[in-house]
Amino acid sequence: MRRINWLGLAFLSPALVMVTLFFLLPVVLTGFFAFTNMSTATGVMGGDYLLNTSTLRALADQGLPKETLAKLEAGGYRVDEAGLAALAAATSPATADELAQLHAGAEFSDRRDMERALKDLRANAIRNTRDRKAATELFKRSILNERFSEEAAFRAALSETGTRPELSDQITEAAFTGWVWTTDNVKLLFALPSTLRYAANTLLYVTLTLAFNVGFGLFLAITTFYLPKGQGALFRAIWFLPRILPPVLYVLMWRWFTWDTGFLSTVSGYLGMSPKNWMLDTSYHAWTAVVLINGFVGASMGMIIFSSAIRAIPTSMLHASEVDGASRWQQVRWIIVPQLAWPILFITCYQTLSLLTSFEYILLATDGGPGRSTEVWSLAAYHTALSNYGGNLEYGLGASFALVLVVIGIGASLIYFRLFNFKRLITKPLIEG
Amino acid sequence: MPAKNWPILLLLTVVTLPLLIMCGYSVIDAFTDTAPGSLVPTRFTLEHFRFLWEPVAEARGSIWVATANTFVFATTSALVVTMVSLTAGYALSRLNFPARGFFLAGLIVLHAFPTITLIIAIFLILQMLGLYDTLIGVIVVKTALELPLGIWIMKGFYDTVPWEIEMAGVQDGASRATVWWYLVLPQVQPGLMALILFSFLSGWSEYILPQVLAPGSDARVLSTYLSSLILDDTKADFNLFKAVGLFYATPVVVIYLLFQKHLMNIYGGGTKG
Repeated sequence: MRRINWLGLAFLSPALVMVTLFFLLPVVLTGFFAFTNMSTATGVMGGDYLLNTSTLRALADQGLPKETLAKLEAGGYRVDEAGLAALAAATSPATADELAQLHAGAEFSDRRDMERALKDLRANAIRNTRDRKAATELFKRSILNERFSEEAAFRAALSETGTRPELSDQITEAAFTGWVWTTDNVKLLFALPSTLRYAANTLLYVTLTLAFNVGFGLFLAITTFYLPKGQGALFRAIWFLPRILPPVLYVLMWRWFTWDTGFLSTVSGYLGMSPKNWMLDTSYHAWTAVVLINGFVGASMGMIIFSSAIRAIPTSMLHASEVDGASRWQQVRWIIVPQLAWPILFITCYQTLSLLTSFEYILLATDGGPGRSTEVWSLAAYHTALSNYGGNLEYGLGASFALVLVVIGIGASLIYFRLFNFKRLITKPLIEG
Repeated sequence: MPAKNWPILLLLTVVTLPLLIMCGYSVIDAFTDTAPGSLVPTRFTLEHFRFLWEPVAEARGSIWVATANTFVFATTSALVVTMVSLTAGYALSRLNFPARGFFLAGLIVLHAFPTITLIIAIFLILQMLGLYDTLIGVIVVKTALELPLGIWIMKGFYDTVPWEIEMAGVQDGASRATVWWYLVLPQVQPGLMALILFSFLSGWSEYILPQVLAPGSDARVLSTYLSSLILDDTKADFNLFKAVGLFYATPVVVIYLLFQKHLMNIYGGGTKG
């Protein structure tokens, strides 16, 4: 009989809540955000309806008829409560009362008509021209630059301007300041030539760094294996530093090393060369720096895993080969490396995924420069959505960049799950079983 | 193997030299002055550590606020990750409950998944929740993203505890919760220690999350303090940078030297990219 232990779910629930909220939800929402035009301009939460001169310009570009634009821009004059109250405050209540008796609710499309109405008041006529012009302005009712929080109110105001009803959808859409659903991001992603550039950069970055990680990790593991125990451990401890040092500090050391007043420039200065920035001088310098900076960190992981795999090789095999007269190179080539096939595959898979998506070290070292030569896909997502010099952060477009990586990430994780047969890790618990 | 080792030693020393130079000069330059165009320090000075007792113009903010924030950030996230992983890891390792296989498979997939791709969505979620630019927000996010790895590690430690201990406890009539608390927890104490240290170091070093989710000066941590110092300055004062860097890295190096054995259990598991 198998008993079900509810304690298990209770023990798991805090983790489930946190992982769902800040892990699974972001995965799903990346998919949603990728199909919006969210940006600094639209904000993250809802929006208002607002027509201003730049909206009108955009509408003109969309081919809105000139007369409609003129109507939206001009507006008209209406004798309403708000205007009368303002008039009473500006002149006298008697003036406002008389205007209300004669013209309450009246509308004038022309400024001169409104002025005439004020001039022709019998008892309280406003004779001074400047006063009359100011009073006229109190009754001007325009949709321009007025902010509506409700769509219905905006549409009502729009119809009052006399715009043709069939155009109101288009105008309302243009006037909305919040974000809307759109597939433009995906189209843009395929249309932009820089997309291909970022993809190519990413491919180059992952390939070179991975080759360095595996090759140099193997080199460190094998050489330290042949050293006496203490010396080998010392070198492994030193090569572990890039991994445990905080990234900001680790990249700072590289910046100094390659700076035009730093180590490389000083040493080459001894040789009579002029100082230069060895990290950002040309794109070749930048790529070398990016691969080495990431490679030193990645190689230490390879080193640890390969080292423990090498130690697991039965020493009798190595001794036997020595008796047979094998050189060290032959030992490495025919005994050690074949035994490491599985760890090498593991490191390759694991690091492909993490290199594909990581940008921390590149951001700190070259920030994608010089130009955009070391801008990889994930860094482009970061720059688009979270940090750029223009100041308008395009969250939606950035999310569609990220969505590509999220999809690759999920796919790769699932493939690794099968490849490394993680199912065998799922053993049945014994007590209830 | 007594064969001649000096060629290997020489080769390793040569390839390690850049790293040694970088680390060595980080310490040397923090305490000395050097004439331009030279690598030989001319005098000893503590002037580069002036940021400790007076505000540095370029840094916009006190180092002590940043240090306190970093400590709170790293400690809180480490404790929460460890506590939650302690129960969740046990559940996944030992208890039988509905959909256990699904949760285990999900955990394995999540722990391989690169979390940094989620940063844009998380940024927007924090804005909607009103947690943007607060230390709380960064702590919660860091904890959640670190959890799959923490649970995975903790489950690994539970898996090594012999079943006989629990069987004996259950036979004697104790509940599973009692058995876990009194019998199993003492067995995984080294793992618990390793996980706390690992998550503390991970929080202490974290850069991208505070940079994106809490860029204001109230929630500034040491990594963003140092990076803003480096990036804002038009004339690079590497002596100052290295002094700040040394101050920042000291706890990391000390913890690493003291607890190397504990930590290797985790780093060796091939778990951090």
